[in-house]
Amino acid sequence: MEHILSILIFFPAFAALIGFLVKNDSIRMYAILVTAIEFVLTVFMWTNFDSSIADMQFTEIIPIIESYGINYLVGIDGISLFLVIMTTFMTMISVIGLTEKRNLKHLIITILFLEMTMVGVFVALDAIIFYLFWELSLVPMLYIIGAWGGQLRIYAAIKFFLYTFFGSLVMLVGMLYLGYVYYQTTGNWSFSILDWNMLVLPFDMQLWLFVAFFAGFAIKVPMFPFHTWLPYAHGQAPTIGSVILAAVLLKMGTYGFVRFSLPLFPDASVYFTIPMAILALIAIIYTAMVAYAQEDMKQVIAYSSVSHMGVIILGIFALNVEGIGGSIFLMISHGVVSGGLFMLVGVIYDRRHTKMMKDFGGLALVMPKYATIFGIMLMASIGLPLTIGFVGEFLSLIGFFKVSPVLTVIAGLTIILGAVYMLVLYKKSFFGPITNEENRKLQDIKGREIAALVPLIAVVIILGVYPKPILKPVDKSVSQLVEVMQIKAVNQSTKVRLLESNSIGEVKND
Amino acid sequence: MTSIPSVVIDFASLNFATIVPMLMAIIGALVILCVDLVNRNLDKSLYIMLTILFLLVDLGTLIGYSGDVRGFFDLMLVDGISILSQAIMVFASILFIFTTMSKLRFQEFRYPEYFALYLFVVAGFQFMVSSDSLILIFVGLETASMALYTLIAMHNRKNAIEAAIKYFTMGALATAFFAFGSTLFYAVTGTVELGQISEILTNSNFENYPVILLGVVFLLGAIGFKLSLVPYHTWVADVYEGSTATLAGFLSVVPKIAGFVVALRFFEIFLASGDIYVEIILYATVVLTMTIPNIIALLQTDIKRMLAYSSISNAGFAMGAVLIGTTQATNSLFLYWIMFFITNLGAFTMLWLNRDKSKELSSDHSLEKYSGLIKVSPFTASMMGLFFLSLAGVPPFALFWGKMYLIGSAVNAGYIILALIMAINSAIAAYYYLKPIVYMFLKEPVENNNIEYMANSTTAVKTLIGFCAIVTIFSIFFVEPLLNIISYYVQISGY
Repeated sequence: MEHILSILIFFPAFAALIGFLVKNDSIRMYAILVTAIEFVLTVFMWTNFDSSIADMQFTEIIPIIESYGINYLVGIDGISLFLVIMTTFMTMISVIGLTEKRNLKHLIITILFLEMTMVGVFVALDAIIFYLFWELSLVPMLYIIGAWGGQLRIYAAIKFFLYTFFGSLVMLVGMLYLGYVYYQTTGNWSFSILDWNMLVLPFDMQLWLFVAFFAGFAIKVPMFPFHTWLPYAHGQAPTIGSVILAAVLLKMGTYGFVRFSLPLFPDASVYFTIPMAILALIAIIYTAMVAYAQEDMKQVIAYSSVSHMGVIILGIFALNVEGIGGSIFLMISHGVVSGGLFMLVGVIYDRRHTKMMKDFGGLALVMPKYATIFGIMLMASIGLPLTIGFVGEFLSLIGFFKVSPVLTVIAGLTIILGAVYMLVLYKKSFFGPITNEENRKLQDIKGREIAALVPLIAVVIILGVYPKPILKPVDKSVSQLVEVMQIKAVNQSTKVRLLESNSIGEVKND
Repeated sequence: MTSIPSVVIDFASLNFATIVPMLMAIIGALVILCVDLVNRNLDKSLYIMLTILFLLVDLGTLIGYSGDVRGFFDLMLVDGISILSQAIMVFASILFIFTTMSKLRFQEFRYPEYFALYLFVVAGFQFMVSSDSLILIFVGLETASMALYTLIAMHNRKNAIEAAIKYFTMGALATAFFAFGSTLFYAVTGTVELGQISEILTNSNFENYPVILLGVVFLLGAIGFKLSLVPYHTWVADVYEGSTATLAGFLSVVPKIAGFVVALRFFEIFLASGDIYVEIILYATVVLTMTIPNIIALLQTDIKRMLAYSSISNAGFAMGAVLIGTTQATNSLFLYWIMFFITNLGAFTMLWLNRDKSKELSSDHSLEKYSGLIKVSPFTASMMGLFFLSLAGVPPFALFWGKMYLIGSAVNAGYIILALIMAINSAIAAYYYLKPIVYMFLKEPVENNNIEYMANSTTAVKTLIGFCAIVTIFSIFFVEPLLNIISYYVQISGY
């Protein structure tokens, strides 16, 4: 088990290289096998994961640039465990549902490389290695959007790349500065997050470093007002690109907040709680309204993603166990649900080559199975109890309730607004008479599509009813995170605030 | 009648060994010329091999030094950074001359003089970095520049002469600047040796400060011309466009490393004493050099011109290390330049291999020429894509480590704003490096354009490309050993 994480990172990369030698007609089966093996490996890792330990597990360290303290350091805890599993699961599902025919081999090789970088981001514990995977993930995504996308694909791809590239460079300056601070305090260079967690930083330094890291993470999330790249990227990306973008790449940003910003800058996190919450609230409400105005089904889901990411941010900046734990659960559930929704739109796009709601109507009559699955996913997206979407949203909001009941109530509107735009989408496309004659002959989903969608539905319902297997290890690591924050806080007010929001009305998960 | 005092030359103090490396290059040049006198019909690959051979001997003799050797009446100073920069220059020259092993050897390689001049260039720059006397620096600079003007003119394109004349005129101006700047320093201090200038200036507490500052400005102009710092950069794009891709690559790497060493030696005098005006001038130069060419590069439609502006901007980055002035910054300067050299060698060689004479396109390396390359020639496209990603600073490719270490050294020295400007510039640069990538990977190929990609390739050059690609991809494993070597040499010369 010692090298399991390295295997998880580099197996897809090697598979991608070998993929060049696979014949075109069997490349799809090759991809399914590779991603399935990768998923099974992550599940295997989960079974060996000791959820009673809050610390990093399966850590591995190889020195790279010793004189500057850069090591290949990987490890996994409750926070990142399920993000990795969700990554490999969604990659597998999206490859199974893949319908793209143009230049398939390049697409599959690119996806496998992308999988390497995604897993790498979630398990890297050295800031430079984290940054390496973080930036490298842009390249395959650029190619996926730019080569297989729609009309404006090149514009969308460049916008996506440049936006995120710029933010990350500012973050890099912050990382290098933290390395320097560590050197000044201890006399040794280190870029390990575990080492950095020992640092106690003065308040002003925390403030500007928080802003530097914010530049990297907020653009990736994307938070309002840095979200403008996302609708373009989603609108133009092919189905598989949208699925992976929504399911995994966006989570890198929120994961970054949890992994870096909170434990490293506890006082700054408290200081910025309200501004962050307000940005998140604007994202929640504003983008939900924008989503309502969309005519393109994919854009509705794209904007709904921004809205849901706002809830995740809100949960994180509740700075208590329920909020952070809930937001991590919401990251996973949003990954599954939004990925699933993008796949569903892909299904209809394959058949009709349009994603406009006005072209449809009465789809429930011709495609009953499709309509059922779409309906379940949609309910999960809205956050209906007993679906996966409910748990995370509920916990995030309950976490933030302790911070500010007023803001939470406003944020609660997301459930109503979400219900509005999603149900309108459903009504326009699925109910009513069949307005377009072309739709009469549409085939219901079958074969590969069912194979891809049914596991998603299973996950949505099973984890919606019984979320404990995920919540328990997550909460374990999150409690430790909150403790670290309390210990490291330099301002007394921060300690009080963290203590308060973590003691009243504790939600027990045992 | 006063008698002329007799001059006694002690052979030991002459320390002949200090010029052995340059001598190897010069002897090589003479041998090539003599061989050509004897027999005019020899195959040109002989000259290539002779050049490589002499440069290898040159490199071999360099390794023997361990630093701080003086010779020739204290004119020569072979210290750590001299050895290091000479080694980089000679190594780079070997690899760049290797690119002439291409299939269609163009006009200029039919003359053996090309190779002789090439060796003279290398020798000139070697002299330039191995002295702290302004006179000898000047001699080295001129030797190299004169030969370079001719090299650029030896190109069968109509804009080659234009490029050479442009370079020559600007070079002459820079020469005048250098001479005048040196004179001013001689006037104030009575010496042209940088070490003594530093001592005298410090002891006299920078008397005659306006004159000194004027001298600094003139010398900055002269060095700035070689380093293509803003505002002395205007020649770069035209000269690169007019010369062959390999020579343009050579120009973007080798003369600059010589310039950086001179800049290091020269500006150390002022930065070490905390001279605020010089620091401001240098700071402004660095920021402008990073930013302005970056913005101009955004507008280019020709890849070679784009690379020209990007190399100016990269010079600005590296010049930042001179400004910062810490040991770590000096280390990062060399690391940055080695990484830049490998990537640039790859990028320019790829352009060289695709040289063609089709008339429809607006220029030799217009972006349209490369559209849809991934479908036509996947190898070419992926290699070029790799080098552009590296130039853009995407990890884990070569130049990222240079950028990271350089920004790191800026941060550690307290230059946070400079580090942020560097970061922002990297983001701007990413946009124009993306342009060729977008053309190659995301656009459809142009129909019937009659371009034969890789028409100029041979196994030898492909091997070179492969070497660059491997170093670029796996540079993460080279950073640590390189840093060890660099810091050893930088430390023994005290920078």
